[in-house]
Amino acid sequence: MLNYILRRVLYAVPILIGVLVITFLLFRAFRSADEIASLQLGPKATHEQKQEFIKKNGLDLPKGMQLWNHLKNTAKLEFGESWRLSRSVRDVFYDGVGPSLLVTIPGFAIGLLAALGLALYQVFVRNSAMDHTLTIICVALMSIPTIVYIIASQSLFALTLNYFPATGFEWEGFVGTARFIVLPAAILAIANFGHDGRMFRAVFLEEIAQDYVRTAQAKGVSSGRILSCHVLKNGLIAIITLTVGQLPKLITGSLLIESFFGIPGMGAMLVQSIQQGDEPVVMASVFLGAVLYLFALILTDILYAFADPRIRLS
Amino acid sequence: MAAAVWLAACDNNPTPKPLKEKREDGSKWTVFNWALTADPKSLDPQYSYDQMSRRVMEPVYDKLLEYHPLKTAPYEVVPAMLAEMPKREEGPAGISYLCRFKPGILFHDDECFPGGRGREVVAEDMQFVFQRICDPKVESPFFGPISDAVIGMAEAHKLAKENGGKLDYEKHKVSGLEVVDRYTFRIKLSRPYPQLKYWMAFECLAPVAKEAVMFYDGEIHNGKQRDDFHKFKTVGTGPFRIVEYKPRQRVRLERVPGYKTMVFPNDGGPPEKQEFLARFRGKPLPLVDEVNMSIIVETIPMFILTRQGYLDRMAANKDAFASLLTPERSLAPKYKERGMFLDQDAEPSTFWITFNLDDPIVGKNKKLRQALSCAHDSQTYVEIFFSGVAPVASQILPPGLAGYDPKHVNPYGHNLDKARKLLAEAGYPNGRDASGKQLELTLSAITDGGDHRQRTEFDQRCFEALGIKVKVDEGDFPMLNDKKDKGRFQMASGSGWGADYPDAENYYFLFYSKNIPPAGKNESRYRNPEFDALFEKMAAMEDGPERLEVIQKMNTIIAEDVPVMLMFNKHFYTVVQPWAERTHQNHMLEGGVKYTQIDADLREKARAEWNRKPLWPIAIAALGFAAALGYAIRWNRRHNA
Repeated sequence: MLNYILRRVLYAVPILIGVLVITFLLFRAFRSADEIASLQLGPKATHEQKQEFIKKNGLDLPKGMQLWNHLKNTAKLEFGESWRLSRSVRDVFYDGVGPSLLVTIPGFAIGLLAALGLALYQVFVRNSAMDHTLTIICVALMSIPTIVYIIASQSLFALTLNYFPATGFEWEGFVGTARFIVLPAAILAIANFGHDGRMFRAVFLEEIAQDYVRTAQAKGVSSGRILSCHVLKNGLIAIITLTVGQLPKLITGSLLIESFFGIPGMGAMLVQSIQQGDEPVVMASVFLGAVLYLFALILTDILYAFADPRIRLS
Repeated sequence: MAAAVWLAACDNNPTPKPLKEKREDGSKWTVFNWALTADPKSLDPQYSYDQMSRRVMEPVYDKLLEYHPLKTAPYEVVPAMLAEMPKREEGPAGISYLCRFKPGILFHDDECFPGGRGREVVAEDMQFVFQRICDPKVESPFFGPISDAVIGMAEAHKLAKENGGKLDYEKHKVSGLEVVDRYTFRIKLSRPYPQLKYWMAFECLAPVAKEAVMFYDGEIHNGKQRDDFHKFKTVGTGPFRIVEYKPRQRVRLERVPGYKTMVFPNDGGPPEKQEFLARFRGKPLPLVDEVNMSIIVETIPMFILTRQGYLDRMAANKDAFASLLTPERSLAPKYKERGMFLDQDAEPSTFWITFNLDDPIVGKNKKLRQALSCAHDSQTYVEIFFSGVAPVASQILPPGLAGYDPKHVNPYGHNLDKARKLLAEAGYPNGRDASGKQLELTLSAITDGGDHRQRTEFDQRCFEALGIKVKVDEGDFPMLNDKKDKGRFQMASGSGWGADYPDAENYYFLFYSKNIPPAGKNESRYRNPEFDALFEKMAAMEDGPERLEVIQKMNTIIAEDVPVMLMFNKHFYTVVQPWAERTHQNHMLEGGVKYTQIDADLREKARAEWNRKPLWPIAIAALGFAAALGYAIRWNRRHNA
């Protein structure tokens, strides 16, 4: 397995270089150094100020040299300083991960567990009126854009009912902080719930038609036990594919939800950085996202081997 | 059950608990809650120029002079840290300004000072301030305009550059800054520069302590990393000090005990507010004890917090208009009933479309520019895109600046018949040249995001009403800026200027021929020797009737030559809570937080009333949850039996 992991890590290197090159080209190939300086310094900046900015950030170097420096610095995990926040990108990330995880972990976990429970229940009552009703609800939930959930929940729970703060974040211990987290986490859970529920239902339906289920039923195993011990276990491969693939999002956060709820996480930071053309932060975020995604893919393969002993990593 | 209890007890107020409950005299501790729409970029007075940074710095750093909060027509600067206005001296050595600090002004207590006690501000501190502006390491954007007039700044900068970019604060002194005595200093100028008084009202010339800059170097000392002064460490002299800065969350300020540099002004203000202002006249500043600036990027949550009473005022942007305003543009009844105010704010700025006078078609044909100016319906433009709140600009100078003439009428304002006549005189009757070919012009514009595309389409439609063809050269903000800098455009929208200081020089320098890019910001490439001569004369003159006369002449020349097509002045609405009636609306101040008053008792009452929490939905939800749980248990028993 170690050989397999090493090989996958080595395969990931050219992919990461590719991601870095593409990101670099998107930012630098289509914009002149003057335009970048103008975006950062505003319309009132003088020619001298722009030239100083260009020189300080190495934008006056040939594009090839700029790319080489970018690759070299990223390899050393040196992401530089945010152009807008005047802080090191590492510090900006460090501050953002905690709040993001506080929203994404409960949101993701609740959404996943609810979707699993619902899918198992739907499989049990398959083709009944209840199954169809729940399917319609799932389709409706997955069809509504996240922004609608955000505005509706802010309007109802923050403005009309006054239960939760409309925006803001403050670390007041887990219980105290919960008032800032409940709405964004619930939206994240609901946004995933519909899609995941439909997907899991399809997986379990396939499993429930297998011979081993009929055998278990013939042996008199209870329905609950069949679902939880056999169907769920055999559907693990699909569940792993879906859930582990979403792990990078736990760290990179949710762009819209964090922005609207004022959660100072990675997602809100990325939105602001894109809007403000804060290249060092955006480039480092894309790199981090790519690393996490590749890591998740490797982790998925490893977990396959644990979930299904027939799978050998070679 | 526990969840229901927790929910019932949950507080919807996102603002942090006040730093204190009561003042030392037992009276109520008052907090002003405000919003920033982005993080400050840096809190170094000699470096920062962006609005958010200045909003945070203004209450922390007192300035040599300050805009009188209650005088806006025209704006007026008054002494702040200085005992009186700088005294102009003229002698064989040239022009200089003699300035004297009020004695007894202290830097805030900080561990950078011996014993942690802030020391007195002295004249020598100004040498350090001018040196910092010259220091290449500080990258001060103020070096350009100030060093051009103050003797010795360019030399100090040059010596620092030759010294590997390091300014030696012992050796590289600014010769134009003379320390006369403990509190008095003289600024010597290489040319008349009356605008220096406005820079004195800017944070860039606010005293900073050498000890603080040297102490907070961002390096590790005794295993502890010190903040970097250049970024977010402040040791100011103002009425507030920063107690907390959480990036992307908030900045909190606390009043500095014993602050006595300034008091609430005893004069000024509109007649209808005199009774209200009388309550504060001569009172020590600040009027509140704590300022909580929440960093809120999105409009909707900001709007909700204002409705709940958790923000004390909010600039109403277009997204909030539909909910806030009636079609007659007054505050919606539901907000009026709450006692809220709708203030109209005027920002000293003018917006226009720039013509490139180096262009062979629009640049060499004045009548054509005049015709295009007459074709643009700016009134309808502001109705559509600014809900009618922004007035159509009649001249380059915005209202409030000395020289602005309220009676002046733009001779080339919207008039389609006149536009057609002028177009024919320009050689393009019905939009066609002598050969019958349709005139085709290019408008460079921002077309991404917001309503920029619609605005461009409006401009295009106005010009095409003359029978000409207008092609749009699409781009985003930096691309358009670059085109204007390099002269690669024919007409460019998205142009304008917000006053750095309220002086005609700060607008007319945009048309001075020596300021054509890259030297300056004369993006229209306007060259007129008569205008240049008047500009040079006006820029060197002190305020007075003679200067106003020169300004009027310049105004007439620009109006006739149409290097830019005037559009509007920026105005906007601000929603103000009943407990936060504003003492001033001076937009040369970045908020004027120290003059802000709050009626904390009224706010507490209103918040309690506006944020009542109905409990019945919690009860229904708890019952629903219990029923679902019961059903699940029963279902499980039945199917596992």
